[in-house]
Amino acid sequence: MMCRNMRYPIVTLLLILLGATSAPFGQPSQKEAREIIDKVDRLLRGDSSLGWVEMTVATRQWKRTTELRIWSEGTEKVLVRVEAPKKDQGTATLRVGDNIWNYLPKIDRVIRIPTSMMMASWMGSHFTNDDLVKDSRLIRDYDIKIDFEGTRDRVEVYEFFLTPRPEAPVVWGRIIYQIRKSDLMPISGKFYGEDGQLKRVANFSEYETMDGRLVPTRMRMSPEDKPGEYTEMKYKELDFDVKIPEKVFSLNSLRGS
Amino acid sequence: MIVVRLGWRNLWRNSRRSLITIAGIAFAFAFLIAMIGLARGLVVQLLRNGTELMVGHIQIHDRDYLPDRDIYETVGNLEGHDWPRLLERLERHPQILAVSPRVFGFGLLSTGEQSAGAQIIGVDPRHEAEVSRLVDANALAKLRPGSLLLGVTLAQELNASEGDEVAAVTQAADGTLGNELFKVAGIVRTGLAYLDRSVAFSRIDDLQLLLALEPSRIHEIAIRIQDPLGAAEVGRQISQMQGLPTGIVVQTWRDLLPQLSEYLELAGGANAFIIGLVVIFAAFGVLNTMMMATFERIREIGMLNSFGMRPALITLTIMLEALFLALLGLAAGFGVGAVMMHYFSVYGLDLTRWTGQLTMVQARVDPVLKAAWNWNAVIGAAISLCVATLIAAYLPARRAVRVDPVEALRAPVLQ
Repeated sequence: MMCRNMRYPIVTLLLILLGATSAPFGQPSQKEAREIIDKVDRLLRGDSSLGWVEMTVATRQWKRTTELRIWSEGTEKVLVRVEAPKKDQGTATLRVGDNIWNYLPKIDRVIRIPTSMMMASWMGSHFTNDDLVKDSRLIRDYDIKIDFEGTRDRVEVYEFFLTPRPEAPVVWGRIIYQIRKSDLMPISGKFYGEDGQLKRVANFSEYETMDGRLVPTRMRMSPEDKPGEYTEMKYKELDFDVKIPEKVFSLNSLRGS
Repeated sequence: MIVVRLGWRNLWRNSRRSLITIAGIAFAFAFLIAMIGLARGLVVQLLRNGTELMVGHIQIHDRDYLPDRDIYETVGNLEGHDWPRLLERLERHPQILAVSPRVFGFGLLSTGEQSAGAQIIGVDPRHEAEVSRLVDANALAKLRPGSLLLGVTLAQELNASEGDEVAAVTQAADGTLGNELFKVAGIVRTGLAYLDRSVAFSRIDDLQLLLALEPSRIHEIAIRIQDPLGAAEVGRQISQMQGLPTGIVVQTWRDLLPQLSEYLELAGGANAFIIGLVVIFAAFGVLNTMMMATFERIREIGMLNSFGMRPALITLTIMLEALFLALLGLAAGFGVGAVMMHYFSVYGLDLTRWTGQLTMVQARVDPVLKAAWNWNAVIGAAISLCVATLIAAYLPARRAVRVDPVEALRAPVLQ
């Protein structure tokens, strides 16, 4: 990769000078592709963040909206607590590293999610527990290359093609990520299974500035095998680089005490 | 009548040869009886182990319920059904021995740090004990409200023992996270490793509460009937009952356990093949005997012919001789076969020295195979042997009758 970049020293230099946030000139190299994906990946997270999210889950039988407060730090720590509706208030999830615990206020129990249940639904949504653990590791687990660069639906885009590295513990066979060229905002992600079948589509929209950062505030995930169903996350508030006390990511705090 | 006496006397003109042929037929028939009996024994056993363990002989579901077991697809759709009344009506059917309503859910069981995914099966303990023997009746009787029975491996995984508290969490039908606390009422061994690892039982109403399903909503009715091989007919009769919930399907074990059904058909085919083979061998034995018997009597047949005895009667004499051979052989064979059947049905055939513990086509196989009478097949084999014997006798008889009497009278005397 270094060798390849050395062939375009001026481009590389410019990129370093301009920083990775500005649109790169010409076809990005694999390294730059990784940087773009990494940036998109970190977009909604920052080093640490505190967010207020409205999560809507729609299935064939019901549609529910819950309000979630989300604390995150780095790539390893997340705490999610349901704030509304009243029935679910206090239900919470803590992720530290590869471990996930759920807290259920009605029975007042903390439950650790076993590895065998990683593919099960998270809080009734179309996300799995695994998504919670794996979401931030795209650049570690996947080889990334630019697949397409040009106009799609009258928007200049990059299309990235992500294939899992040989030993990566991932569930996807490939991911196609579409990113807006002008400001590197994510447009969509298509997730394919190991059998090459499209499994789910994520669509990003409503790009707004929150705490000084442009972010897509709405993200809708639609599972391919259940037409019409989706889980949508709408950010109401998002603060970046907040100082979060270490004890927030503990089992005690999970219980809400 | 003279023909019958002639046939009978001819039979004993070379008694040693006839006895050997009779012994051959007897041996073939005895072998077939034992083989058919053991094959039926295996069928009965596989059927019993395959159906009585969990499935039952007939099941009623919503038509979209299987194979995904989506919790919304309840009997009678979203409204459910007055299933206790349906159960009563089913129980009145003369063929139906027992019925069991069931609710299925999938969730997470946890004792805190130890958690495991499990299929939770909601049952009515009294009904369930009459349909399946997955869990023995004593354990089912302990299933009080608010309690669970855990598969033995699942219990180990959860580090839970009787009396412990277990939390169950699941995706409920209303979109919420259903969660309840249960007490472990017992730990059960089903005999199938994958069930021991993945199954827990609760009472129907407890599971309905956890899943946020109304009391009218169940997923399955399992039915045990008197004669599993007649399940298709009983299933048809159930489907034609009045006032059934809409959108249901009635399926028999043949639909529900396709592997078992296919195996039984395959085994039936293999049986028929072996029966056919044995019958053909026996027929060749008879053919040989009757050929010898007719050719050594070629002079005598020619004489009868020239005396004016009708060829058809001569043929009949020879064939009657063969029929006596067959009937004596069958009688002797039945005697020997019955003794063998008695032995195999009381003591069984111990398979352990060849197989050890054995699972076959979704069912446990008992180590000792016990034979069971399959009268249709036994009678079929007997008729096949008779017919084959008659055909084998007809061929030489026809040839002998057609020989020119003059030629026949010139033939050397063999006896």
